[in-house]
Amino acid sequence: MHSNNYTLGFVFIVTIILGSMLSFTKDSIKDLQEENLKADVQKTILRSLKFDESLLQTNELIEQTFKSYIDAKCVNIEGVIVECAIEEIDIEKNVDVLPVYIRKDNNEIKGIALPVAGKGLWSTIFGYIALNPDTDSVLGIQFYKHGETPGLGGEVEKKWFTDNFINHPQEDSSGSITYVPKKIRDSNGKIVSIKVVKGGVDYSDSNMESIHQVDGISGATVTADGVTDFLLEDLLRYEKTLDKIRDYGTI
Amino acid sequence: MELFNSESKKIISDPINVNNPISLQVLGICSALAVTIRLDQAIIMTLAVIFVLCSSNVILSIIRNYIPNRVRIVIMLSVIASLVSVVDELLKAYLYDMSKQLSVFVGLIITNCIIMGRAEAFALKNGPSKAFLDGIGNGFGYGLIIIIVSFFRELFGAGTITLPDGGAGYVLWRIPESWYAAGYENIGLLVLSPGAFIILGLVIWVQREMAGVEEDA
Repeated sequence: MHSNNYTLGFVFIVTIILGSMLSFTKDSIKDLQEENLKADVQKTILRSLKFDESLLQTNELIEQTFKSYIDAKCVNIEGVIVECAIEEIDIEKNVDVLPVYIRKDNNEIKGIALPVAGKGLWSTIFGYIALNPDTDSVLGIQFYKHGETPGLGGEVEKKWFTDNFINHPQEDSSGSITYVPKKIRDSNGKIVSIKVVKGGVDYSDSNMESIHQVDGISGATVTADGVTDFLLEDLLRYEKTLDKIRDYGTI
Repeated sequence: MELFNSESKKIISDPINVNNPISLQVLGICSALAVTIRLDQAIIMTLAVIFVLCSSNVILSIIRNYIPNRVRIVIMLSVIASLVSVVDELLKAYLYDMSKQLSVFVGLIITNCIIMGRAEAFALKNGPSKAFLDGIGNGFGYGLIIIIVSFFRELFGAGTITLPDGGAGYVLWRIPESWYAAGYENIGLLVLSPGAFIILGLVIWVQREMAGVEEDA
């Protein structure tokens, strides 16, 4: 049997050694981790704007693609461009300076990516929603950071869920089905965003709203409601900006 | 001590076969169910577990005579938890996509009963080299089972076989479109946890049969 002092001393020394080992590890690879995080955000933006996966293979490639195709700007709630350090903006808290990422191929706007973030069940979910130049139909949506339960709320980052936003089945007069993107504006041009509905979207003719709805995730109603709420809230902040792009083709 | 005498061989081969931590002792089941959706995840998870298991076994074995008995569980837990955190951080730096996919399950290696179990049952009673071999044996025993399970789950559940490549995974083979056109369908159940239970149950059955183990009545 060891004495109390020995036991305390032993625990103390073990703690010091393990603690230093951890902080040493963390410190020596912190830069790499930060680089990965930054590349991951850029990758999310590029993915939401439907860049080809071959351009997103390595961190260098991602950065290069981002630099050559993306026009990153900040706007205020009135849709006026303002100066900002775009990488340092806190997406969740900040409401005055709003980042906008515009994909331009040969000076022509191909898509607009906007950051969205809000509470799910356990955590804040971060992502980007990209709109077509009509600022109505969805080009893509991607989530990159969240602490939701894997297999339940964590499914928001999965392809089957994000594909919901760009695959709205539409039957034409001949009866064949084509897939069109979901829309964030109603027939009057007002932003109504997209709702994640419990169960699945009712695609019968009586449901006029189905173009603004996507399938929910079983077992993750709170996460889904969170997504619905922050999508609407965040898109409304960009209303003036989006109107401007729709009407004038530029900010 | 000679490294590869018959005793050492037994320390390595027993946990892979007749005393497998998953199929015989039924330990470490939660991660075996969670990370077996894709083969590449299972492989990286295996490597992470082998690293943690070997290092914790060796470290604890070296200090085994100095650990006060009253706090040995706490000490074991801190050593294991620190090693797991190191693995987690390393994955975030060098295999970012993989660390995102494995998400909380890397951190949950801490609660993998195999690691704590080997520390308590073996490392605290044997020297570092034996403890290291025990870690290798049990790590591979664990890996063997989850790799088999994930192979079947991915192949029949998602229709692909994916190997780790540092990024989002290299698809080695996928079921050709013509099969799907001919009416073949993926078994969606296998992607879900109940599917993992079924495959794991079958693997345990086959493995016990092959090892000739019989449960005491």
